[in-house]
Order: sequence, then C-alpha cells, then structure tokens
Amino acid sequence: MKVLWAAVRRQPYQAVRLAGWSVAEVAPSWVIGVALAGAIDDGFGAGRPGTGLVWVGVLGLSWAVAAVGARQSLLALAGIVEPFREVLQAGAVRDSLAAGRIGTAAATMQVEVARDTFATVLGVLRTFVFTVAGVVVGLAALLPALLVLVVPPFLAGLALFLLALRPLARRQREFLLADERTADAVALTVGGLRDIRACGDEERAAAFVGRRVDTQADAARALARVTASRTLALGLGGWAPVLLVLAFGPGLGASSGVVVGVLAYILQSLTPALNGLAEGLGVSGVRLLVTLERLSGGRRPSAPARVTPPDLTVELRGATFSYGREPVIDGLDLVVPEGEWLAVVGPSGIGKSTLAALVTGLAVPAEGRVTVGGVPADQVDPQARVLIPQEAYVFRGTLWENLTYLSAATEAGVDAAVHAVGAADLVRRLGGYQAGIQADALTPGERQLVALARAYLSPARLTILDEATCHLDPAAEARAEHAFARRGGTLIVIAHRLSSARRAGRVLVMDGATAVLGTHADLPGRSPLYADLAGRWTPDLEHAS
Amino acid sequence: MDRLLAGTIRHGGPAVGVLAAASVLGACLALALPYALGRTADTLDPAWLTTTVAIAALLLLCDTLAVWSGAASGANAAAWLRHRTLHHLLGVGPASTQEVPEGDLVTRLGVNAEEAARAPDAAITGATLLIPALGGLVALLLIDPWLAAALVAGLTVILLVLRAFLRSSTTLATGYQEAQADIAARLVDAVAGARTIAAAGTAATETRRVLTALPQVRAHAMALWRARAQAGVRAAVVVPLLEVCVLGVGGLRLAAGDLTAGELYAAARYVVLGAGLGSALGYIAQLGRARSAAARLAALLDLCPTPHGVRPLPAGPGTLSFHDVRCPGLTVSDLKIPGGSSVAVVGRSGSGKSRLAALAGRLADPAAGQVRLDGVPLDRLSRAALRQAIGFAFERPALVGETVADAIGPDSGPAARQAGADAFIRRLPRGYATPLADAPMSGGERQRIGLARAFAHGERLLVLDDATASLDTVTEHQVGAALAADPRTRLIVTHRAAMAARADRVLWLERGRVRGYGAHARLWGDPDYRAVFQGADE
Repeated sequence: MKVLWAAVRRQPYQAVRLAGWSVAEVAPSWVIGVALAGAIDDGFGAGRPGTGLVWVGVLGLSWAVAAVGARQSLLALAGIVEPFREVLQAGAVRDSLAAGRIGTAAATMQVEVARDTFATVLGVLRTFVFTVAGVVVGLAALLPALLVLVVPPFLAGLALFLLALRPLARRQREFLLADERTADAVALTVGGLRDIRACGDEERAAAFVGRRVDTQADAARALARVTASRTLALGLGGWAPVLLVLAFGPGLGASSGVVVGVLAYILQSLTPALNGLAEGLGVSGVRLLVTLERLSGGRRPSAPARVTPPDLTVELRGATFSYGREPVIDGLDLVVPEGEWLAVVGPSGIGKSTLAALVTGLAVPAEGRVTVGGVPADQVDPQARVLIPQEAYVFRGTLWENLTYLSAATEAGVDAAVHAVGAADLVRRLGGYQAGIQADALTPGERQLVALARAYLSPARLTILDEATCHLDPAAEARAEHAFARRGGTLIVIAHRLSSARRAGRVLVMDGATAVLGTHADLPGRSPLYADLAGRWTPDLEHAS
Repeated sequence: MDRLLAGTIRHGGPAVGVLAAASVLGACLALALPYALGRTADTLDPAWLTTTVAIAALLLLCDTLAVWSGAASGANAAAWLRHRTLHHLLGVGPASTQEVPEGDLVTRLGVNAEEAARAPDAAITGATLLIPALGGLVALLLIDPWLAAALVAGLTVILLVLRAFLRSSTTLATGYQEAQADIAARLVDAVAGARTIAAAGTAATETRRVLTALPQVRAHAMALWRARAQAGVRAAVVVPLLEVCVLGVGGLRLAAGDLTAGELYAAARYVVLGAGLGSALGYIAQLGRARSAAARLAALLDLCPTPHGVRPLPAGPGTLSFHDVRCPGLTVSDLKIPGGSSVAVVGRSGSGKSRLAALAGRLADPAAGQVRLDGVPLDRLSRAALRQAIGFAFERPALVGETVADAIGPDSGPAARQAGADAFIRRLPRGYATPLADAPMSGGERQRIGLARAFAHGERLLVLDDATASLDTVTEHQVGAALAADPRTRLIVTHRAAMAARADRVLWLERGRVRGYGAHARLWGDPDYRAVFQGADE
C-alpha cells in the first residue's frame, strides 16, 4: 500500500488534476436525483413542461461534463501510473541483473499487469469516494430524512463486503498462483516431450501436470464460491435502501418525484460504484498485490564500501560457504601471493566457481574470512579485480564500446591488448573497432575473445579466469593465459582442461572432500585424483579433443 | 471443434444446468423489475411493494447462483480440456512440437483452454441477456416507437466507435511493443553477463543502458491512453444522452397526462436495459473466441499418437541391429552392435549421428528397414518394454518433475553417483528434494542429471547423444570411467577423441553413410578420421 501511496505522491500535479476532473466525471451522480425530482415535481407533474425540460437539460449537460471529465481524469491517471511503471521496470531490471536470471518475458508482463491493475484500483477508489459524497449531498438536498433509509443499509452492505474481502483476496491469490504453477508445469512438460518419450515417463508427466491442473480447478471453484457470496453481500447493500425508500419514503414526506430521484441515486450511482469497487479491489487489487510482491522480491542494497587494497595477496582463512546443508567450500585455507599464477582443478560443481565468487566478493563466507591485500573481499574496489566467467558478456553496441567497457583506453592500447590475447583476427573479421556487434551474432569462442581483451585492458591486476577460455581451442587458450601471466599481477585460472594446470606456477586440486595445493610435478604423489588424471592424460588426445 | 464445445458443456457438471435456469429466470426478473418499481412508486400499494421485494430478492438469488455456476462450470470444463489435451500430446510425443511451436502449445493448454471452457457461460449468459435487452426495446416501443428507433441508432454509433478504436490501437500498440522489445533484448544480453557486471560493479550503468528506450515506451503508452480516453468519451456519452432524450419526450407525455411518474422512471430504465443489447453482442464475440480457442485445441487432438506394438522383450544381452535402414539423411544397410559392448558414433556435424541415435532409441522410425533389439523390431515392442530397456541422454536435456530426484526417476541416488552428479546435488539447498525451479544449474550439471536419468531408466541399452559435450575434462574422465565399467550396451555419440578411444568400437559416419566401423586405434591412422576431431571445441 505504501508503494502505491508513494506513487501518487510523486506526481502531486497529476493527483490534483485527477481529483478535480473526477468531480466533473461523477457530476451526473450528484445531479441525477435532484434533476429528476425537479423535472417531475416542479416541471412536468406541475404542468410546467418548460421547467421540466430545463431540469432534463441540466441532467444532459452533466453527462457532457462527465464525458470531458472522464477523458481528462483518465489522462491524469495515466500521468500517475506510467511513471509508476517506469519505477517498477527499472527495479525489475536491477533485480534481474542482481539475480543473474530473468523471470524471462515475465518481468515485462508483470510490470504491465501491475500498471493496469494499479490504474483500475486507483480509478475505482476515487469513483467510489466521489460518487458516495455526491449521493449523500444530493439526498440531503432532496429530503435529509431519507438519509436514514439509505445510508445505514448501504454501510452495512459495504461492511459485509469488506469483511468478505480478506477471504476473497486469499482465494483470488491462490487461484493466480495455481494458474501460474500449472503454466510452469505445462511449459516444462511441453519442452520435455522428447525426454519424456525417451524415458517412457508419460504417466509420471501426466500425473505431475494433472495434479497442478486439479489444484487449479479446486482453487477456481473455491474462488467461484466466495465471489458468489460477495455478489450476495453487495446485492443486499444495493437493494435494501431501494425497498426501504419505497416502503417508508412517502411516509417521511417524499413526493413521487423525490422517490424516483432517490431510486436513480441508488440504482444508477451508488450500486454501480459499489460494484466497481468490489470488482476493482477484489480482483485487480489482489492481482496488483501479488504482482508487486513478486516484483520487489529479492532486492538487495548495493555494496557500500569500496576500498583499494594495498597489495594483491589473496588470502582465505577457514573459509566455509554452503548453498544448503552440505558446504561447497569447507574450511579452506589458501594464500596466493601477489604475482602468482594459480590454477584450480576439479570436477565441475565441486565449488570452483564458488571459490571465484568468494575471491571477487560476490559471495561472502559463512565462516572464516577472504581478503585481498588484507581488505575483506566484498569491500574491495571492483576496479582492483576482474572476473571473466565462462559465459562471456557482450552487449549491443560497437566493438570499441565492448572492449573499453572497463577502462578508458587509447587505440594503441586496445591494439596491443587485442594482439596479446589473440583477438586480432576477430577484429579484422568483424570490420574494425566501430563495427556494431551483438551477442547472438558471435560464436561462444568469439565472445570469450572479446571478454578477454576487455579484461586485459582493465586497470585491475587481480585476474580470475573462470573457465573463461573453454570455447577456445587449446592453442588459443594457452596464448590467452600466457598473455595474462606476462601482464603482471595475480592470476587465478579455474581450469577447464588439464593443460591449464601444467602451465601454472601452482595448482589447487579440489575433489569435494579435500583441497590439495601443490605443483604439476609434485601433485601426482599427493592427490589420487590428480594422479589419476595426469596418468591417463596424454597431450596428444587432449590436443585433438 | 463443436464436439469439443459440446464436451465442455457435458463436463461443466451440474453447474451448467444451474447457470441456465438462474440466467433465464434472472433475465425475466430484470425485465419485470422497472415496471414493478414504477408501479410501487406510483401507487404506494403494499401489494406492489411486496411484489417488488419478492422480485428483487429472487433476482439477487439468481445473480448469485449465476455468478457461482458460471465460474464453477468454467473451472470444471477447463480442467477436463487440459487433462484430455495433455494426455493426447504425451501420446503424440515430440512430433507435436514440429506441428506447433512449444510456446504456442503452452498458450493453447493455458489461455485457450480457459477461453474454450467459458463457452457454456458465454452462450447461456449471452442468450439470456437478449431477454431484458429485447424486452426493454419492446417495452419502450409500447411507450413510443420513435424512442426505440433512436435507441437502435445510438447502439449502431457505439459499435462503430468501438471498431474504430480497435483499428487505431493496434498500430499504436505495435510501436509500444517494439520499444519494449528493445529493452527486453538488452536485458537478455545483460543478464547473460550478470557475473561480469556484478564483479565489475557496473550494475547502475547497465540498468541505465538497458532502459535506454524508456522515453519511447512512455510516449507510445501515453498515445495509447489518449486513444482509449477519446473512444471512452464517445462511447460513454451516447447511452446517457439517449436516456435524457427519452426523459425529455417522456416528460412532455407526463405533462399531457399520458404517463405517470413511475412509468417515466420505468422508460428511463428500459433505455438502459435496451442498451444492454451491446453487451449481449459482446457475449457473441466471446463465444466466437471460445470457438476459435476450441478449434486450436481440436487441432492438437487431431495429431496422430505414435503406435506401439504389444510384444514383450525376450531375455537377451541387449544386441542392437540395423537392417537396411533408410531415412532422410541416413542410410545404414547392415549393422550389429553386440550386447554389452560400447560403440562411439563420430562424424562431422550433419553426418547423421543424432538421427542414428534417435532411431536406436525409437524417438523416430525409419522410412524403410528395421531396427531390432535382441531380435525384436523396436516398433513391435510394447511401450513399457521398449522404455524399460532403453535409456537415452541428450546434449541439452529437458528436466521434468517437481524435484531433482523426480527428474532423474526411480533409484535416483545410485544413478546420480554413476553420472558424477551426486556430489553437486547434495550441495543444492535441499539436496535431492530441491525443487527444479530452485536449482539453477550450469550446462554441465544439467547434462549430468540427464545422464543419471538415462542410467536410471535403460536396463539393456544406453544411448548417449553428445551427452557429455559440456563436461570439463575432469568430470568427463570420471563419467567415462563409470561408462566403461557399465555392463549394458552403450551407443555414445561424441565429438571428442578421448571418448572415442575408450569405446570398444567406433562407428564413423560421413554424409549419412557408414564410413568406418572398428577400433579407434585402427581408424586413427586415417587422416580423414583424425580430421573429424579437429576444431571440435570451436
């Protein structure tokens, strides 16, 4: 709710405009009863058709005013909800970048659902408030005694509805979630038809989706029941005043014109506004809340401190990190002095990328500490280190923009970097630095070359290659690794191939239970896994594969 | 398609009957109400008041029942449609995605099933809305024919306005969607580089870059709102103005003594009811949508399911043989893979490796010839026997199920250990019970889950279609060792020489034909064979 209120307050001019034009939009609700009563009692019924026509004309005029008001207030509403959409959209982009995955097209769609439902909720709320105010004023003008017949039953109906709102919201929410879960299961199953066939898993897949379909149908039926009871509550609130006015109105001194006027107030103003409110809050409101929860989920504040470390010694002391019960990295002690070249070897999923994340401060250890030059890794200035992950980042733009993403380099500097990592051919092929590039037009290997050249250009002297060369051939991989070693600073290479370990000064072997630090020469004697790998490994075969 | 719609009515349950009864009764009551209200206001007669109270109470009851039964019948029918279509799709198998793209299939089982299930509601509500709408016109006609004529003219204007809006808003919407698509495309790029961005601390710059098109989005959005406001004004002003006309003319008749105040009120209400014809027409449009949605579902039900034989598999070692097999892109005249042996399938891309694997696992049938397992043609085997015998792993496995254990299948633990997946699965937030959606996995990790699934499924034959391509050297070595020790028959499509070297024999394909079949060491002498592995990692 706070988010919504803030969205209105951010646009004070539009909010005032909305309120002003809303008064015009609901003008007929204010006028209709008085005009009808006047037309009948003072005009047509009293033998003065001219006066009657004037009153009818007033009513017609109020509708014309309402039409203009509706247009202007819709635009004012747009002036509030469109900036709100932009705030949400920016938040969704930030969340996606932080989480490293998109709720696919869902993010854009969710933002639009939030925008539309917010517009509906805001719209029905102000219509309701202004209409009720208008009807009360109109009734008071006609015959104040009638307020007693109209207001209490109306409030009772409203209270009943508000009581029903919570269960209604719960059911609506359950239905929305069940609907999404069904869609997820269907998408998973349709995407896996080949695999389901290959495993003969048709029955299990049918049961998997079938359970969700049934849950969704249950949720829809439960929603139908509460929606029906809402209809009943609203009907009571709408009809009770009508019948009371018919039964007791004349006794309180209402003429036939006044009775007709009051009926119009109730049936043409009050009841539609109440129905609109119920629909708006019960359906759009719930959808809005569910969507907002989803959109603002997982936001985290950006890192506060940025300290430039005095040197580039990487140190882990008893570092422990886990995603679940079993730690991925368990009490790891490791010192990589400045200027060293370290290779990390082990099966994938064993925690090598987590080690890279700890050293770059993207993950914080649950126990122990990880420091760079004595500074906790998550407080180190990003300018001091560069991580090149397996999935190289290339964005839409020129090659030059992509290469100088982390630095302000001269053309000579870029030339040197491109040459050093072996990307000169690629630059030529693409048509020079000003060529426009985008990720899906390059092969994975070409993307990795771009990322390597970019990292080479960056001022950072702590370099972590996390399988950053896995799509290059072994010769190109060797060239790139040597280039970074010559460039100076500390180099940590998470190896995709064993040949990366042979080149490095020291090797860390991670096999899940233990981590053994040594050199290519002494490790076969100390790590059974390394011995096994090195024993079977033949340069010939690996070169070919 | 109409059979399917009839099915939605049948499977909507008793709610459909309730809906029909409540709607018809409610429509008649709605028609009677303005007259009763008018009479009560005129006469103040307790009998009329009682009648009005009774009508209003019954109407409320009918409305409540209609709301419940409309939604409940839709829920029942939608569930029936989804179960039925899904069941059929599973029977058709992967062939269905060749006819209809995946995203479209999801839409059909989702939104389209919902729309088609609304057919009973739309038909009944639409039909019964005609009662008060046409009744309202008739009632007005009885008061003054000219008013009825004016009303019909007004409705025509409304419909034309709505049509004009549809036309202009589609072009506006395209501009909006294009601007949004630009943001989406940049976001996809940036998310692919999320680790680079996080490590470089450039998230704020990236957010701004992704949102470059935001001003265009705003401009298009405001244009859409203006179009909506414009059309809203024109449409909203027509009905009230008609009502004002009726009130004016009716007022003059009242002054002349031909009409009572109550009748004047009733006439005004009948204008509103008559204008309800517009929403009745809206239901016809909804029925049209339900029909086209049903047609899209019916098209899926017309796809042919894959036929299976009835034979069980006799005892045997798992010998796989190809006999004069021909299909587009692959010809294998005669090939025998002895039970319990391992065969690597190699060749440049496009040489027919995956097709051979698909034939061996009966994911496809040859145009001519037979593939046999222990002497039985695969298409004669019952589905259960076939799938129990053969395990299949893919380069990009699609994982289906609630949890990681579900995705692997029965006996997930030992299979995962064999595939070298056990260690990383146990490190997931909830181990084997981690929901698939909460277990983001790298390509190599997914491949190992896919391998574990194949190990858990096939009793006699394992078919691995490039299923170790994303594994790093160390993991591939471990999986290779586990595979070498496996007693089942193994058919392993691979790009890597190390994998081929470990197999008992290599089947070398070139342009859809067998170029060689023998030990890796013997074939290695042929430069053409060595060339197959060059640049495999590019």
